[in-house]
Amino acid sequence: MTRFLLGLLLVTLLQTTLAHGLGVAGVRPDLYLLFLFFLSFRARPEEATGMGFLLGLYQDAFSGAPFGLHAFTLSAVGYALSRVAEGVDVSRLVPRLVLLAGSGLAVGALSHLLLHFFRLGPPVSALLTVVLPTALYTALLGVVVLTARQLKTRLEVRL
Amino acid sequence: MLLRVFLRYRRTLILSAALVVSFLFMTLQVRQEGPLVDLVERGLVLTVTPFLKVYAAVTSGASRLWTNYVDLRRVGAENLRLQDEVAALREEVGRLTEAGLENSRLRRLLDLPAGLEFDLVTAQVIAKDTTNWFKIIMINKGSGARVERNMPVISTEGLVGRVVEVMPWAAKVQLLTDPVSSVGALLQEQRVTGLVTGDRGQTATVKYLPLMAEVRVGDVVLTSGMGGVFPKGIPIGTVTAIHRKSGALFQEAAIQPSVDFGRLEEVLVVTGQRGPGPPGGPRGPGVVRR
Repeated sequence: MTRFLLGLLLVTLLQTTLAHGLGVAGVRPDLYLLFLFFLSFRARPEEATGMGFLLGLYQDAFSGAPFGLHAFTLSAVGYALSRVAEGVDVSRLVPRLVLLAGSGLAVGALSHLLLHFFRLGPPVSALLTVVLPTALYTALLGVVVLTARQLKTRLEVRL
Repeated sequence: MLLRVFLRYRRTLILSAALVVSFLFMTLQVRQEGPLVDLVERGLVLTVTPFLKVYAAVTSGASRLWTNYVDLRRVGAENLRLQDEVAALREEVGRLTEAGLENSRLRRLLDLPAGLEFDLVTAQVIAKDTTNWFKIIMINKGSGARVERNMPVISTEGLVGRVVEVMPWAAKVQLLTDPVSSVGALLQEQRVTGLVTGDRGQTATVKYLPLMAEVRVGDVVLTSGMGGVFPKGIPIGTVTAIHRKSGALFQEAAIQPSVDFGRLEEVLVVTGQRGPGPPGGPRGPGVVRR
């Protein structure tokens, strides 16, 4: 729990400060989703839901989005990822990346839908200009993190 | 019995609870009926703000230290150049003082009001929006520093946006590039008004410009003062492209904001204003008092 809370604090600091330096054409990776993605495979669905909810609340508190938007989307995605991990072999790189990109698209599409529901509706083109690039960028960053972790493990085995 | 039911269906129940509570939070905030939502949000912000303030202070200090070091290395050559410049400027000050006095006399003669004067609070940007949907920044001054909702926020380059949420120790500022932001605008040369809205990127669009207006690339866009939120005459940006659609009642213009939002570190919150400003609007944010 303490590690999760420290991670939450770190992710919030990174997303509100350094992530803007990683922006490409105004699109930044979603570090909250990335953090939840790595946690969900080791957590039970109810835990992943709770973690997604708390992560989402923090993401909303530091954005212009209606409070609860990302708590909704990340709770649902955390639950889904944890359920998928129970039935699918997610130890290999490719299925993980497909899942990460899929999660990014799901979070984006769900946010788009909810924003429309609350009449803060971005145009449909935002699915291509915001949702897709964010999901791909987050997945790309996921590749970097996963590769770094694999390299670290190999080095540890050799040593 | 209840415990057994809960344990059996805990996954579904916890997910449903999370979704219902999130949806309730959204509904209450959008309807602006949520003291509870504000309380929860402020609580969460409070847990992170001290770290953000420390981070902002450290990065700003390090950046200042580096700048000072670089400046120190240049100082010798710069000193000689500046001595020459001081001599030239002294001469110019004399001429400008005369011009200023003449300007005051003429203003009195024509009965024009004095220039725009703002009461300002300097604030540091401590956080930026965590999503790609909106454009919000968080500043380190809140109601404790007399910052209130809807106060305009400017920088030395021009308009930044307006305060949309105030906490005692921090405030959220909606940038003019936010998709739900709208600012009354005036084209400086054409003297026609429009509405500047954000478009999720680093640019913005002036909408509802009359078709008759001869808008040109490079035209300066200022705040119009209409709507009562932003004072008249603050630079917003310059026109980069004009869009005229056939059959449309108005034309639109893409603008490049005067402020570089990517490099924004410090802003000025306009907490008060004196004088309506000279007719036609000033070219800059005007005379300031802090």
